[in-house]
Amino acid sequence: MRQLLLATLALSAGAASAHAQSLRPFSTYRQWHGETRLLARLEYAAGSLRVTAARPAELYRMDALYDEGRFDPVSDFDASTTAVALGVRAEGGGGLRVDSKGQPRQTAAVTFSPRTDLSLAVTLGAADADLELGGLRLTDLDLQAGASRATVRFAEPNAARCRMASLRAGAAELTVLGLGNSRCERIAFEGGVGRVTLDFGGTWTSDSRVSVKMALGEMTLRLPRAVGVRITPDRILSSFDPAGLVRQGSSYISPGYDRAARHLDIALTTAMGNVEVVWEEP
Amino acid sequence: MSARRRLVAVIALLAIVFPRTAIAGPRLDPTGTRSLKLVHGFWTLVAEASEPSVADSTGQAARPVPQAIPPAEAGGPRVSLDDLSQPGAIESQLRTALRPEDDRLRLTVPNGTARLGDFSIAANESMPGHLLVVQGTADIFGKLLGNLVTVGGDVVLHPGSVVSGDILTLGGEVRDQGGEIGGEVRSFRSTSLLGTPLQAASGGPGAVALVFRRGAGVAGAFLTLCALGLGLVLFGRQHLEVVSDTVSHSFGRAFTSGLLGQILLLPTFGMLVVGLVLSVVGIVLLPFVVVVYVLLVFVGGLGGYLAVAHAMGETYTRRRLALGVMLGSPNSYRYVLVGLGALATPWLAWALFGWVPVAGELIRGAAILVTWLLGTAGFGAALLSRAGLRENFAGRLLPPEALTDEYLWATPQFGVSAAKRPGARTPPRGL
Repeated sequence: MRQLLLATLALSAGAASAHAQSLRPFSTYRQWHGETRLLARLEYAAGSLRVTAARPAELYRMDALYDEGRFDPVSDFDASTTAVALGVRAEGGGGLRVDSKGQPRQTAAVTFSPRTDLSLAVTLGAADADLELGGLRLTDLDLQAGASRATVRFAEPNAARCRMASLRAGAAELTVLGLGNSRCERIAFEGGVGRVTLDFGGTWTSDSRVSVKMALGEMTLRLPRAVGVRITPDRILSSFDPAGLVRQGSSYISPGYDRAARHLDIALTTAMGNVEVVWEEP
Repeated sequence: MSARRRLVAVIALLAIVFPRTAIAGPRLDPTGTRSLKLVHGFWTLVAEASEPSVADSTGQAARPVPQAIPPAEAGGPRVSLDDLSQPGAIESQLRTALRPEDDRLRLTVPNGTARLGDFSIAANESMPGHLLVVQGTADIFGKLLGNLVTVGGDVVLHPGSVVSGDILTLGGEVRDQGGEIGGEVRSFRSTSLLGTPLQAASGGPGAVALVFRRGAGVAGAFLTLCALGLGLVLFGRQHLEVVSDTVSHSFGRAFTSGLLGQILLLPTFGMLVVGLVLSVVGIVLLPFVVVVYVLLVFVGGLGGYLAVAHAMGETYTRRRLALGVMLGSPNSYRYVLVGLGALATPWLAWALFGWVPVAGELIRGAAILVTWLLGTAGFGAALLSRAGLRENFAGRLLPPEALTDEYLWATPQFGVSAAKRPGARTPPRGL
């Protein structure tokens, strides 16, 4: 106990001093001038990232603390296409160097206007990301997660119809919560190695088609009872536990699938790994 | 205790005791570090409050006199503000341009204006072109038809103001109070661009401004100490008088004790921490003990310094009384005020003449030395008298009765020497 206390004390003191060494604060934003559409490209190489809805008066904002010696902040708005590039990228555009414990930890908070249709592309390196996209007007989502741990949430229903949500994860731990609130017509996930949780909870207002491709890893599908679910697995060496699903040909459907007002069709392709189905009670 | 436990204890001790280096970012310091800064900060307080060349952590240095930066000659420094999307490149250009070899700043901003010091655009004013403000705040009430860059200063957008282009702050922030920004805002709240204060080619801040600035700093420190001193007299007069007497009657011992005390401060602290680390209860108590220790040192130093002021004021007042000068209220309040006034004198001299080359530095050095000497003596007196609790320690060579004010006007207790009769001849020695 005493050793634990001492070690915590020493580590916290050391971490605090490391934090203070070279982190530089950077802020960028743009006022909202009635833009109806924004193409946002968010590139975040390393550190901790949080994305939420912005204040109505701002089109976007990023407040970052970045490691001046290794990274450069990105903030570039193109008025002709209403496109913005934000984030923190490795200095010189070179490859990403993995953080060590002695290096200061970067942070960034990015917000987007809830009044503008948003097409969002996010590229994560070695990042710890929390993306709260509920309440935005998301029309497209393209998420690429490298060696990162990311959580994408839709705590509130998407204020616009989303055409496509594309999620790609390398060696990542990815959790997507409230996909029902995303209002995306198509959802595509491609995973390499890692642990993935796809939660289809939320308020479903339309049918949705989901494509899930997982190479190696552990996947959890959290399904709502209120929606008719069909899972069509295509697996090689992976295990799939269709708990609560009824087999119909090459697919598995939830009881009452035909009578359900909304349908969720999942095409599941897995190579090696484990797929688990968990039901969410209403 | 096993070797492993000792190792962990030593690591924890080092992590706590050793000062942090290169603290640059916005962060919260542990309480102990802050308190240590307070202990060591008396003359730093005076210096920082009044020294114009010390840039603060955000990169905002003291403001120079507002003036235009004249354009450079052909081939001279040139910074284009047309595209602010690469702030790193702008900062790199400015880094070169803002370090003139002859300390006279000249800079060309194509399609724009460069200013040194605070700058504002009036409400009914419309300024075309880009604007660069160095070491100053840009107050925008009217319209700026271009990009805006500040170095070591904020941008304040007042209601109704307009900046049609982008805004970039290096070592400052944008305070939008209701203005309209056509472009993008980028803010670096810190910058290393302004290591030293700049001076435009047309002139620079005058000695008068420097005197006022330093004078204000000294006055601020003086008033703070006066408030603390009067509070100490009000609530701890007896202790203050005992420490003051100790300084008066055992100055040498007080100074020696203070010097030793200063030398032993850190080792004592280290031993205290090690002692506490060896027990579970001690680890829990460690943060509180650290805070209390630092507070005690701070109170000891400050109280001792005020006690020195009290002693000086008392000595001066008694001498004047002895000369027959009628003084309104010869009490501890007066002593402290008079003493602090005397202690502030060298700093006042520095404030007035610190701008004089060489002599100014000498005066400053003398002021620091005097302050340290007296502060050390005060600290030592506080130690010797146990912060005024040990009343009989003053190293008095005279009985306590002799220290009352009565001897100044009452019949001396050791008798009155007989007056010589006019015209009487002094008998020769030996008869």
